Amino acid sequence: MNPVTTLELNKVSFSYNKSPFIEELSLILNNGEFVCIMGPNASGKSTLLKISAGMIKPLSGSIMLWGNNIHQYKGKDRAKLISYLPQMLDISIPLKVKDIVQMGFYPYDIPPELDIDKALDMVGLLDKKEMYINQLSGGEVRRVFFAMTLVQGAGIVLLDEPLANLDIKYQIEIIKLLRGIVKKRDITVLMAIHDLNLALQFDRVILIKDGKIIGDGKPENVLNEYNLQMIFDIDIKVLHYNNGKTSIRYD
Amino acid sequence: MKLRMVFIILISLAICISSLYIGPKIINPFSMEALDKDILLSIRLPRMLTAMLIGMALGASGAILQGILRNPLADPYILGISGGASLMAVIGIVFGVGYGGFFSIPFLAFIGAILTGTVVGIISYKRGIFWHTRLLLAGIGIGFLFSALVMLILGISTNEGLRRAMLWMFGELSMSDWNNIPYGFFFILIGLLISLSRSKGLNALMLGDELAWNLGFNPSKERIILFISVCLMVAASVSLGGTIGFVGLLMPHIIRMSIGTDNRFLIPLSSLVGGALLCFADLIGRTLFSPMELPAGIITALLGAPYFLYLLRKKDIIGG
Repeated sequence: MNPVTTLELNKVSFSYNKSPFIEELSLILNNGEFVCIMGPNASGKSTLLKISAGMIKPLSGSIMLWGNNIHQYKGKDRAKLISYLPQMLDISIPLKVKDIVQMGFYPYDIPPELDIDKALDMVGLLDKKEMYINQLSGGEVRRVFFAMTLVQGAGIVLLDEPLANLDIKYQIEIIKLLRGIVKKRDITVLMAIHDLNLALQFDRVILIKDGKIIGDGKPENVLNEYNLQMIFDIDIKVLHYNNGKTSIRYD
Repeated sequence: MKLRMVFIILISLAICISSLYIGPKIINPFSMEALDKDILLSIRLPRMLTAMLIGMALGASGAILQGILRNPLADPYILGISGGASLMAVIGIVFGVGYGGFFSIPFLAFIGAILTGTVVGIISYKRGIFWHTRLLLAGIGIGFLFSALVMLILGISTNEGLRRAMLWMFGELSMSDWNNIPYGFFFILIGLLISLSRSKGLNALMLGDELAWNLGFNPSKERIILFISVCLMVAASVSLGGTIGFVGLLMPHIIRMSIGTDNRFLIPLSSLVGGALLCFADLIGRTLFSPMELPAGIITALLGAPYFLYLLRKKDIIGG
Protein backbone atom coordinates (compact mmCIF):
# COMPACT_ATOMS: atom_id res chain seq x y z
CA MET A 1 0.00 0.00 0.00
CA ASN A 2 1.38 3.38 -0.95
CA PRO A 3 1.73 5.88 1.87
CA VAL A 4 -0.77 8.76 1.81
CA THR A 5 0.72 12.21 2.38
CA THR A 6 -1.16 14.03 5.11
CA LEU A 7 1.07 17.01 5.79
CA GLU A 8 3.67 18.57 3.55
CA LEU A 9 6.01 21.49 4.23
CA ASN A 10 7.43 23.05 1.05
CA LYS A 11 10.57 25.18 1.40
CA VAL A 12 9.33 26.86 4.55
CA SER A 13 11.34 29.81 5.89
CA PHE A 14 10.77 31.69 9.11
CA SER A 15 12.56 34.15 11.39
CA TYR A 16 11.70 35.69 14.74
CA ASN A 17 13.85 38.77 14.16
CA LYS A 18 15.95 39.61 11.12
CA SER A 19 18.33 36.65 10.98
CA PRO A 20 16.71 33.57 9.39
CA PHE A 21 15.79 30.84 11.87
CA ILE A 22 14.32 28.22 9.58
CA GLU A 23 15.44 28.30 5.96
CA GLU A 24 13.72 26.49 3.07
CA LEU A 25 12.80 23.47 5.13
CA SER A 26 10.81 20.72 3.44
CA LEU A 27 9.15 17.75 5.11
CA ILE A 28 6.50 15.16 4.25
CA LEU A 29 4.42 13.21 6.77
CA ASN A 30 2.45 10.15 5.72
CA ASN A 31 -0.62 8.58 7.20
CA GLY A 32 -0.03 6.19 10.10
CA GLU A 33 3.51 7.33 10.84
CA PHE A 34 4.84 7.60 14.39
CA VAL A 35 7.55 10.23 14.12
CA CYS A 36 9.73 12.08 16.59
CA ILE A 37 11.73 15.22 16.07
CA MET A 38 14.95 15.79 18.00
CA GLY A 39 17.51 18.51 18.32
CA PRO A 40 19.25 20.68 20.90
CA ASN A 41 17.45 23.54 22.62
CA ALA A 42 16.59 26.42 20.29
CA SER A 43 17.13 24.21 17.24
CA GLY A 44 13.66 25.07 15.93
CA LYS A 45 11.62 22.04 17.08
CA SER A 46 8.81 24.04 18.67
CA THR A 47 8.77 26.58 15.87
CA LEU A 48 8.60 23.81 13.30
CA LEU A 49 5.65 22.22 15.11
CA LYS A 50 3.82 25.54 15.36
CA ILE A 51 4.42 26.24 11.68
CA SER A 52 3.22 22.73 10.80
CA ALA A 53 0.07 23.33 12.82
CA GLY A 54 -0.54 26.58 10.94
CA MET A 55 -0.30 28.54 14.17
CA ILE A 56 2.49 30.78 12.93
CA LYS A 57 2.75 31.76 9.30
CA PRO A 58 6.07 31.17 7.53
CA LEU A 59 7.67 34.09 5.71
CA SER A 60 7.82 32.00 2.57
CA GLY A 61 6.94 28.47 1.52
CA SER A 62 3.69 26.61 2.04
CA ILE A 63 2.14 24.02 4.34
CA MET A 64 -0.23 21.63 2.64
CA LEU A 65 -2.74 19.75 4.78
CA TRP A 66 -4.41 16.95 2.84
CA GLY A 67 -3.40 18.72 -0.38
CA ASN A 68 -4.76 22.15 0.54
CA ASN A 69 -2.94 25.14 1.99
CA ILE A 70 -3.40 25.01 5.76
CA HIS A 71 -4.03 28.75 6.01
CA GLN A 72 -7.02 28.49 3.70
CA TYR A 73 -8.96 26.26 6.09
CA LYS A 74 -11.47 27.74 8.47
CA GLY A 75 -10.33 27.33 12.09
CA LYS A 76 -12.92 24.67 12.89
CA ASP A 77 -12.31 22.68 9.72
CA ARG A 78 -8.58 22.72 10.34
CA ALA A 79 -9.12 21.58 13.94
CA LYS A 80 -10.89 18.45 12.66
CA LEU A 81 -7.80 17.46 10.64
CA ILE A 82 -4.80 18.49 12.70
CA SER A 83 -4.28 19.06 16.41
CA TYR A 84 -1.44 20.53 18.37
CA LEU A 85 -0.68 20.23 22.08
CA PRO A 86 1.79 22.76 23.53
CA GLN A 87 4.56 21.78 25.90
CA MET A 88 3.09 23.76 28.77
CA LEU A 89 -0.44 22.70 29.59
CA ASP A 90 -2.16 25.38 31.64
CA ILE A 91 -4.16 23.77 34.42
CA SER A 92 -4.45 26.83 36.66
CA ILE A 93 -8.22 26.88 36.16
CA PRO A 94 -9.81 23.89 37.88
CA LEU A 95 -11.84 22.26 35.13
CA LYS A 96 -13.16 18.73 35.45
CA VAL A 97 -11.47 16.03 33.40
CA LYS A 98 -14.66 15.31 31.46
CA ASP A 99 -15.16 19.03 30.72
CA ILE A 100 -11.72 19.29 29.12
CA VAL A 101 -12.19 16.14 27.05
CA GLN A 102 -15.61 17.38 25.99
CA MET A 103 -14.04 20.51 24.48
CA GLY A 104 -12.68 18.21 21.76
CA PHE A 105 -16.21 18.39 20.31
CA TYR A 106 -16.07 22.18 19.89
CA PRO A 107 -15.02 22.17 16.22
CA TYR A 108 -18.08 20.06 15.39
CA ASP A 109 -21.71 20.97 14.91
CA ILE A 110 -22.65 17.29 14.86
CA PRO A 111 -20.45 15.38 17.34
CA PRO A 112 -18.32 12.58 15.79
CA GLU A 113 -18.58 8.91 16.84
CA LEU A 114 -16.06 8.75 19.67
CA ASP A 115 -17.61 9.68 22.99
CA ILE A 116 -15.94 11.04 26.11
CA ASP A 117 -16.05 7.74 27.97
CA LYS A 118 -14.43 5.80 25.14
CA ALA A 119 -11.70 8.41 24.76
CA LEU A 120 -10.98 8.41 28.49
CA ASP A 121 -10.97 4.63 28.49
CA MET A 122 -8.36 4.62 25.71
CA VAL A 123 -6.00 6.72 27.80
CA GLY A 124 -6.86 4.71 30.93
CA LEU A 125 -8.51 7.52 32.88
CA LEU A 126 -12.17 6.57 32.82
CA ASP A 127 -12.24 6.34 36.62
CA LYS A 128 -10.94 9.93 36.93
CA LYS A 129 -13.67 11.43 34.76
CA GLU A 130 -15.25 13.49 37.55
CA MET A 131 -11.97 14.68 39.08
CA TYR A 132 -10.49 18.12 38.67
CA ILE A 133 -7.51 18.48 36.36
CA ASN A 134 -5.30 19.97 39.09
CA GLN A 135 -5.81 16.88 41.24
CA LEU A 136 -4.02 14.67 38.70
CA SER A 137 -0.34 13.79 38.23
CA GLY A 138 1.72 15.28 35.38
CA GLY A 139 1.40 12.12 33.28
CA GLU A 140 -2.34 11.94 33.85
CA VAL A 141 -2.76 15.59 32.82
CA ARG A 142 -1.03 14.77 29.52
CA ARG A 143 -3.34 11.82 29.01
CA VAL A 144 -6.44 13.96 29.62
CA PHE A 145 -5.35 16.23 26.78
CA PHE A 146 -4.62 13.22 24.55
CA ALA A 147 -8.20 12.14 25.21
CA MET A 148 -9.37 15.60 24.15
CA THR A 149 -7.34 15.22 20.95
CA LEU A 150 -8.92 11.81 20.32
CA VAL A 151 -12.39 13.29 20.67
CA GLN A 152 -11.30 16.11 18.37
CA GLY A 153 -10.69 13.34 15.85
CA ALA A 154 -7.79 14.92 13.95
CA GLY A 155 -5.76 12.54 11.81
CA ILE A 156 -2.52 14.37 12.51
CA VAL A 157 -1.39 15.05 16.07
CA LEU A 158 1.55 17.36 16.80
CA LEU A 159 2.95 17.22 20.33
CA ASP A 160 5.55 19.59 21.72
CA GLU A 161 7.66 17.70 24.27
CA PRO A 162 4.83 15.70 25.84
CA LEU A 163 7.39 13.77 27.91
CA ALA A 164 9.08 16.77 29.53
CA ASN A 165 9.10 16.69 33.33
CA LEU A 166 7.73 13.16 33.51
CA ASP A 167 9.33 10.21 35.29
CA ILE A 168 10.78 7.60 32.94
CA LYS A 169 7.94 5.24 33.86
CA TYR A 170 5.34 7.71 32.61
CA GLN A 171 7.45 8.54 29.55
CA ILE A 172 7.43 4.90 28.48
CA GLU A 173 3.74 4.58 29.34
CA ILE A 174 2.85 7.55 27.14
CA ILE A 175 4.96 6.34 24.21
CA LYS A 176 3.25 2.94 24.42
CA LEU A 177 -0.15 4.56 24.65
CA LEU A 178 0.46 6.83 21.65
CA ARG A 179 1.93 4.03 19.57
CA GLY A 180 -1.16 1.94 20.29
CA ILE A 181 -3.44 4.81 19.31
CA VAL A 182 -1.51 5.42 16.08
CA LYS A 183 -2.04 1.77 15.12
CA LYS A 184 -5.64 1.53 16.23
CA ARG A 185 -6.89 4.77 14.70
CA ASP A 186 -4.44 5.06 11.79
CA ILE A 187 -3.32 8.59 12.68
CA THR A 188 -0.01 10.40 12.24
CA VAL A 189 1.89 11.56 15.32
CA LEU A 190 4.80 14.00 15.19
CA MET A 191 6.30 14.81 18.57
CA ALA A 192 9.35 16.64 19.85
CA ILE A 193 11.33 14.64 22.40
CA HIS A 194 14.69 14.81 24.15
CA ASP A 195 15.61 11.26 25.16
CA LEU A 196 17.81 9.53 22.57
CA ASN A 197 16.91 6.04 23.77
CA LEU A 198 13.22 6.73 23.56
CA ALA A 199 13.76 7.93 19.99
CA LEU A 200 14.63 4.32 19.11
CA GLN A 201 10.96 3.44 19.70
CA PHE A 202 9.68 5.50 16.76
CA ASP A 203 9.10 4.56 13.10
CA ARG A 204 10.98 7.60 11.98
CA VAL A 205 13.31 10.16 13.53
CA ILE A 206 13.89 13.69 12.25
CA LEU A 207 17.06 15.40 13.50
CA ILE A 208 17.11 19.16 13.41
CA LYS A 209 19.77 21.77 14.19
CA ASP A 210 19.79 25.53 13.56
CA GLY A 211 16.48 25.24 11.73
CA LYS A 212 17.78 22.64 9.24
CA ILE A 213 17.00 18.94 8.95
CA ILE A 214 20.23 17.00 9.50
CA GLY A 215 18.82 13.50 9.30
CA ASP A 216 15.46 11.92 8.54
CA GLY A 217 14.65 8.21 8.46
CA LYS A 218 14.44 5.02 10.50
CA PRO A 219 16.05 5.40 13.94
CA GLU A 220 18.76 2.80 13.24
CA ASN A 221 19.86 4.75 10.17
CA VAL A 222 19.60 8.26 11.55
CA LEU A 223 20.78 7.83 15.12
CA ASN A 224 24.42 7.17 14.30
CA GLU A 225 27.44 8.52 16.10
CA TYR A 226 28.32 10.95 13.33
CA ASN A 227 24.91 12.64 13.29
CA LEU A 228 24.50 12.72 17.05
CA GLN A 229 27.91 14.18 17.73
CA MET A 230 27.32 16.86 15.14
CA ILE A 231 23.95 17.78 16.59
CA PHE A 232 24.61 17.65 20.30
CA ASP A 233 28.35 18.50 20.39
CA ILE A 234 29.19 15.67 22.79
CA ASP A 235 30.82 12.24 22.57
CA ILE A 236 28.14 9.67 21.92
CA LYS A 237 28.40 5.89 21.57
CA VAL A 238 25.70 3.83 19.86
CA LEU A 239 25.85 0.31 21.28
CA HIS A 240 24.39 -2.67 19.40
CA TYR A 241 23.73 -5.74 21.54
CA ASN A 242 23.67 -9.38 20.43
CA ASN A 243 19.93 -9.61 21.06
CA GLY A 244 19.36 -7.04 18.30
CA LYS A 245 18.67 -4.17 20.70
CA THR A 246 20.41 -0.84 20.57
CA SER A 247 21.21 1.73 23.21
CA ILE A 248 22.84 5.12 23.16
CA ARG A 249 25.41 6.23 25.72
CA TYR A 250 27.02 9.57 26.30
CA ASP A 251 29.71 10.65 28.73
CA MET B 1 -26.64 19.83 38.72
CA LYS B 2 -29.55 20.47 36.35
CA LEU B 3 -31.92 20.44 39.29
CA ARG B 4 -29.70 22.91 41.09
CA MET B 5 -29.72 25.25 38.10
CA VAL B 6 -33.52 25.15 37.85
CA PHE B 7 -33.71 25.87 41.57
CA ILE B 8 -31.35 28.87 41.24
CA ILE B 9 -33.36 30.25 38.30
CA LEU B 10 -36.70 29.91 40.11
CA ILE B 11 -35.45 31.53 43.31
CA SER B 12 -33.95 34.43 41.35
CA LEU B 13 -37.17 35.09 39.47
CA ALA B 14 -39.18 34.84 42.67
CA ILE B 15 -36.95 37.44 44.34
CA CYS B 16 -37.28 39.85 41.43
CA ILE B 17 -41.05 39.58 41.26
CA SER B 18 -41.60 39.82 45.00
CA SER B 19 -39.44 42.96 45.15
CA LEU B 20 -42.23 44.63 43.20
CA TYR B 21 -44.79 44.06 45.95
CA ILE B 22 -42.69 44.39 49.08
CA GLY B 23 -41.35 47.71 50.31
CA PRO B 24 -42.19 50.51 52.73
CA LYS B 25 -45.74 49.94 51.51
CA ILE B 26 -46.74 46.31 50.95
CA ILE B 27 -48.86 45.90 47.84
CA ASN B 28 -51.32 43.05 47.60
CA PRO B 29 -51.14 41.86 43.98
CA PHE B 30 -54.70 40.53 44.13
CA SER B 31 -56.46 43.70 45.28
CA MET B 32 -54.69 46.79 44.06
CA GLU B 33 -56.04 50.28 44.53
CA ALA B 34 -55.32 53.08 42.05
CA LEU B 35 -52.47 54.38 44.23
CA ASP B 36 -50.93 50.90 44.45
CA LYS B 37 -51.01 50.58 40.68
CA ASP B 38 -49.37 53.95 40.38
CA ILE B 39 -46.57 53.03 42.81
CA LEU B 40 -46.09 49.71 41.07
CA LEU B 41 -45.94 51.02 37.53
CA SER B 42 -44.18 54.35 37.91
CA ILE B 43 -41.82 53.63 40.82
CA ARG B 44 -41.31 49.96 41.66
CA LEU B 45 -41.33 48.40 38.20
CA PRO B 46 -38.79 50.76 36.59
CA ARG B 47 -36.64 50.46 39.70
CA MET B 48 -36.81 46.69 39.71
CA LEU B 49 -36.01 46.55 35.99
CA THR B 50 -33.09 48.95 36.43
CA ALA B 51 -31.68 46.93 39.32
CA MET B 52 -32.14 43.72 37.41
CA LEU B 53 -30.51 45.05 34.23
CA ILE B 54 -27.52 46.42 36.14
CA GLY B 55 -27.09 43.22 38.13
CA MET B 56 -27.39 41.09 35.01
CA ALA B 57 -24.82 43.17 33.14
CA LEU B 58 -22.39 43.06 36.08
CA GLY B 59 -22.77 39.33 36.78
CA ALA B 60 -22.22 38.40 33.14
CA SER B 61 -19.34 40.80 32.50
CA GLY B 62 -17.56 39.73 35.69
CA ALA B 63 -17.67 36.10 34.57
CA ILE B 64 -16.45 36.99 31.07
CA LEU B 65 -13.63 39.25 32.27
CA GLN B 66 -12.34 36.71 34.80
CA GLY B 67 -12.16 34.33 31.84
CA ILE B 68 -10.51 36.53 29.24
CA LEU B 69 -8.10 38.17 31.69
CA ARG B 70 -7.39 34.79 33.34
CA ASN B 71 -7.64 36.56 36.66
CA PRO B 72 -10.03 35.72 39.51
CA LEU B 73 -9.77 39.31 40.81
CA ALA B 74 -11.12 40.88 37.65
CA ASP B 75 -14.36 42.79 38.07
CA PRO B 76 -16.33 44.79 35.50
CA TYR B 77 -14.78 48.04 36.73
CA ILE B 78 -11.16 46.90 36.38
CA LEU B 79 -10.90 47.95 32.75
CA GLY B 80 -11.38 51.63 33.47
CA ILE B 81 -14.65 51.67 31.54
CA SER B 82 -16.57 52.77 34.61
CA GLY B 83 -13.85 55.36 35.32
CA GLY B 84 -14.55 56.94 31.95
CA ALA B 85 -18.26 56.86 32.70
CA SER B 86 -17.75 58.45 36.14
CA LEU B 87 -15.55 61.21 34.74
CA MET B 88 -18.11 62.21 32.12
CA ALA B 89 -20.99 61.89 34.59
CA VAL B 90 -19.23 64.00 37.22
CA ILE B 91 -18.38 66.67 34.66
CA GLY B 92 -22.03 66.65 33.64
CA ILE B 93 -23.27 66.88 37.23
CA VAL B 94 -20.92 69.71 38.09
CA PHE B 95 -21.98 71.62 34.98
CA GLY B 96 -25.60 71.04 35.87
CA VAL B 97 -26.68 68.57 33.20
CA GLY B 98 -29.96 66.89 34.18
CA TYR B 99 -31.04 63.27 34.37
CA GLY B 100 -33.92 63.46 31.90
CA GLY B 101 -33.98 63.95 28.16
CA PHE B 102 -31.51 62.78 25.57
CA PHE B 103 -28.47 64.85 26.59
CA SER B 104 -28.46 63.61 30.17
CA ILE B 105 -26.11 62.20 32.79
CA PRO B 106 -26.74 58.59 31.70
CA PHE B 107 -26.03 59.58 28.10
CA LEU B 108 -22.74 61.25 29.08
CA ALA B 109 -21.76 58.25 31.20
CA PHE B 110 -22.47 55.88 28.35
CA ILE B 111 -20.37 57.92 25.91
CA GLY B 112 -17.53 58.13 28.47
CA ALA B 113 -17.60 54.35 28.97
CA ILE B 114 -17.62 53.50 25.27
CA LEU B 115 -14.79 55.95 24.49
CA THR B 116 -12.70 54.56 27.35
CA GLY B 117 -13.36 50.99 26.24
CA THR B 118 -12.21 51.88 22.75
CA VAL B 119 -8.98 53.50 23.99
CA VAL B 120 -8.20 50.56 26.32
CA GLY B 121 -8.89 48.15 23.46
CA ILE B 122 -6.60 50.02 21.06
CA ILE B 123 -3.77 50.10 23.61
CA SER B 124 -4.08 46.32 24.06
CA TYR B 125 -3.92 45.47 20.36
CA LYS B 126 -0.41 45.15 19.03
CA ARG B 127 1.22 43.14 16.25
CA GLY B 128 -2.04 41.43 15.38
CA ILE B 129 -2.62 40.11 18.88
CA PHE B 130 -5.08 41.24 21.53
CA TRP B 131 -2.98 40.83 24.69
CA HIS B 132 -4.83 40.05 27.89
CA THR B 133 -2.15 41.35 30.26
CA ARG B 134 -1.98 44.59 28.28
CA LEU B 135 -5.75 44.84 28.52
CA LEU B 136 -5.65 44.47 32.28
CA LEU B 137 -2.80 46.94 32.78
CA ALA B 138 -4.18 49.49 30.31
CA GLY B 139 -7.53 49.31 32.13
CA ILE B 140 -5.94 49.82 35.54
CA GLY B 141 -3.79 52.70 34.23
CA ILE B 142 -6.71 54.51 32.67
CA GLY B 143 -8.81 53.85 35.75
CA PHE B 144 -6.24 55.59 37.95
CA LEU B 145 -5.97 58.52 35.58
CA PHE B 146 -9.73 59.02 35.51
CA SER B 147 -10.25 58.66 39.23
CA ALA B 148 -7.57 61.30 39.78
CA LEU B 149 -9.40 63.60 37.37
CA VAL B 150 -12.71 62.91 39.13
CA MET B 151 -11.12 63.77 42.50
CA LEU B 152 -9.69 66.94 40.99
CA ILE B 153 -13.09 68.04 39.72
CA LEU B 154 -14.80 67.13 43.00
CA GLY B 155 -12.12 69.01 44.91
CA ILE B 156 -12.92 72.26 43.17
CA SER B 157 -16.69 71.85 42.90
CA THR B 158 -19.48 73.25 45.10
CA ASN B 159 -21.15 71.36 47.93
CA GLU B 160 -24.34 70.42 46.13
CA GLY B 161 -22.54 69.18 43.03
CA LEU B 162 -20.15 67.23 45.27
CA ARG B 163 -22.97 65.48 47.15
CA ARG B 164 -24.82 64.51 43.99
CA ALA B 165 -21.66 63.31 42.28
CA MET B 166 -20.72 61.18 45.30
CA LEU B 167 -24.20 59.64 45.39
CA TRP B 168 -23.96 58.85 41.70
CA MET B 169 -20.61 57.15 42.14
CA PHE B 170 -21.88 54.99 45.00
CA GLY B 171 -24.55 53.62 42.74
CA GLU B 172 -27.96 55.11 42.94
CA LEU B 173 -31.19 53.46 41.97
CA SER B 174 -33.59 56.06 43.37
CA MET B 175 -33.36 58.12 40.19
CA SER B 176 -34.59 55.20 38.07
CA ASP B 177 -37.41 55.98 35.71
CA TRP B 178 -38.67 54.61 32.45
CA ASN B 179 -36.59 56.98 30.28
CA ASN B 180 -33.33 55.05 30.26
CA ILE B 181 -34.56 51.49 30.60
CA PRO B 182 -35.13 50.84 26.87
CA TYR B 183 -31.57 51.95 26.03
CA GLY B 184 -30.08 49.95 28.89
CA PHE B 185 -32.13 46.91 27.95
CA PHE B 186 -31.06 47.17 24.32
CA PHE B 187 -27.30 47.34 24.96
CA ILE B 188 -27.28 44.79 27.79
CA LEU B 189 -29.31 42.34 25.72
CA ILE B 190 -26.91 42.71 22.78
CA GLY B 191 -23.92 42.24 25.09
CA LEU B 192 -25.46 39.14 26.66
CA LEU B 193 -26.33 37.59 23.32
CA ILE B 194 -22.84 38.21 21.93
CA SER B 195 -21.17 36.71 25.00
CA LEU B 196 -23.47 33.68 25.07
CA SER B 197 -22.75 32.97 21.42
CA ARG B 198 -19.02 33.04 22.28
CA SER B 199 -19.14 31.05 25.51
CA LYS B 200 -17.48 27.98 23.93
CA GLY B 201 -14.62 30.18 22.79
CA LEU B 202 -14.27 31.52 26.32
CA ASN B 203 -14.15 27.96 27.67
CA ALA B 204 -11.39 27.15 25.21
CA LEU B 205 -9.47 30.30 26.19
CA MET B 206 -9.35 29.00 29.77
CA LEU B 207 -7.01 26.26 28.54
CA GLY B 208 -4.62 28.90 27.16
CA ASP B 209 -4.31 30.53 23.76
CA GLU B 210 -2.54 27.66 22.04
CA LEU B 211 -5.15 25.10 23.00
CA ALA B 212 -7.95 27.49 22.09
CA TRP B 213 -6.29 27.82 18.71
CA ASN B 214 -5.99 24.03 18.47
CA LEU B 215 -9.75 23.76 18.95
CA GLY B 216 -10.35 26.05 15.99
CA PHE B 217 -10.71 29.42 17.74
CA ASN B 218 -8.72 32.57 17.01
CA PRO B 219 -7.82 33.68 20.58
CA SER B 220 -7.42 37.39 19.77
CA LYS B 221 -10.65 37.52 17.81
CA GLU B 222 -12.60 35.74 20.56
CA ARG B 223 -11.12 38.08 23.16
CA ILE B 224 -11.95 41.23 21.18
CA ILE B 225 -15.55 40.14 20.61
CA LEU B 226 -16.02 39.26 24.28
CA PHE B 227 -14.37 42.54 25.30
CA ILE B 228 -16.84 44.46 23.12
CA SER B 229 -19.75 42.63 24.74
CA VAL B 230 -18.39 43.57 28.19
CA CYS B 231 -17.94 47.22 27.13
CA LEU B 232 -21.55 47.44 25.99
CA MET B 233 -22.91 45.86 29.16
CA VAL B 234 -20.74 47.80 31.60
CA ALA B 235 -21.34 51.09 29.79
CA ALA B 236 -25.09 50.54 29.86
CA SER B 237 -25.11 49.45 33.51
CA VAL B 238 -22.94 52.33 34.73
CA SER B 239 -25.10 54.83 32.92
CA LEU B 240 -28.24 53.32 34.44
CA GLY B 241 -27.10 53.43 38.06
CA GLY B 242 -23.48 54.32 38.63
CA THR B 243 -20.93 51.86 39.96
CA ILE B 244 -22.15 49.07 42.20
CA GLY B 245 -19.54 46.85 43.78
CA PHE B 246 -19.43 43.17 44.66
CA VAL B 247 -21.91 41.75 42.13
CA GLY B 248 -19.49 41.60 39.24
CA LEU B 249 -16.51 40.43 41.25
CA LEU B 250 -17.93 37.74 43.47
CA MET B 251 -21.17 36.57 41.85
CA PRO B 252 -19.30 34.60 39.15
CA HIS B 253 -17.26 32.87 41.88
CA ILE B 254 -20.34 31.94 43.87
CA ILE B 255 -22.00 30.48 40.77
CA ARG B 256 -18.79 28.68 39.75
CA MET B 257 -18.64 27.07 43.16
CA SER B 258 -22.17 25.77 42.83
CA ILE B 259 -22.43 24.75 39.16
CA GLY B 260 -18.86 24.64 37.81
CA THR B 261 -16.72 26.54 35.34
CA ASP B 262 -18.53 25.95 32.04
CA ASN B 263 -19.18 29.44 30.68
CA ARG B 264 -22.22 28.30 28.71
CA PHE B 265 -24.03 28.02 32.05
CA LEU B 266 -21.87 30.33 34.14
CA ILE B 267 -22.55 33.49 32.11
CA PRO B 268 -26.36 33.27 32.04
CA LEU B 269 -26.66 32.14 35.66
CA SER B 270 -24.20 34.67 37.03
CA SER B 271 -26.15 37.26 35.12
CA LEU B 272 -29.55 36.19 36.41
CA VAL B 273 -28.45 35.78 40.02
CA GLY B 274 -26.59 39.11 39.81
CA GLY B 275 -29.85 40.72 38.74
CA ALA B 276 -31.79 39.05 41.54
CA LEU B 277 -29.20 39.98 44.17
CA LEU B 278 -29.35 43.61 43.18
CA CYS B 279 -33.16 43.60 43.26
CA PHE B 280 -33.03 42.06 46.71
CA ALA B 281 -30.36 44.50 47.91
CA ASP B 282 -32.39 47.41 46.65
CA LEU B 283 -35.50 46.05 48.35
CA ILE B 284 -33.67 45.95 51.68
CA GLY B 285 -32.00 49.31 51.05
CA ARG B 286 -35.26 51.14 50.49
CA THR B 287 -37.30 49.27 53.13
CA LEU B 288 -35.11 48.77 56.18
CA PHE B 289 -34.68 52.38 57.32
CA SER B 290 -37.53 53.87 55.30
CA PRO B 291 -37.92 56.70 54.37
CA MET B 292 -34.11 56.88 54.40
CA GLU B 293 -32.51 54.82 51.63
CA LEU B 294 -29.25 52.89 51.71
CA PRO B 295 -27.35 52.55 48.41
CA ALA B 296 -27.82 49.08 46.92
CA GLY B 297 -24.06 48.63 46.47
CA ILE B 298 -23.54 48.67 50.24
CA ILE B 299 -26.20 46.02 50.81
CA THR B 300 -24.87 43.72 48.06
CA ALA B 301 -21.48 43.72 49.75
CA LEU B 302 -22.91 43.28 53.27
CA LEU B 303 -25.02 40.30 52.16
CA GLY B 304 -22.75 38.72 49.63
CA ALA B 305 -19.34 38.94 51.24
CA PRO B 306 -20.08 36.71 54.26
CA TYR B 307 -21.77 34.12 52.05
CA PHE B 308 -18.82 34.19 49.69
CA LEU B 309 -16.36 33.73 52.55
CA TYR B 310 -18.43 30.81 53.86
CA LEU B 311 -18.27 29.11 50.43
CA LEU B 312 -14.57 29.84 50.15
CA ARG B 313 -13.96 28.08 53.45
CA LYS B 314 -16.20 25.12 52.62
CA LYS B 315 -15.08 24.25 49.09
CA ASP B 316 -11.87 22.42 48.22
CA ILE B 317 -11.53 23.62 44.66
CA ILE B 318 -11.53 27.32 43.94
CA GLY B 319 -12.26 28.41 40.40
CA GLY B 320 -11.26 31.42 38.40
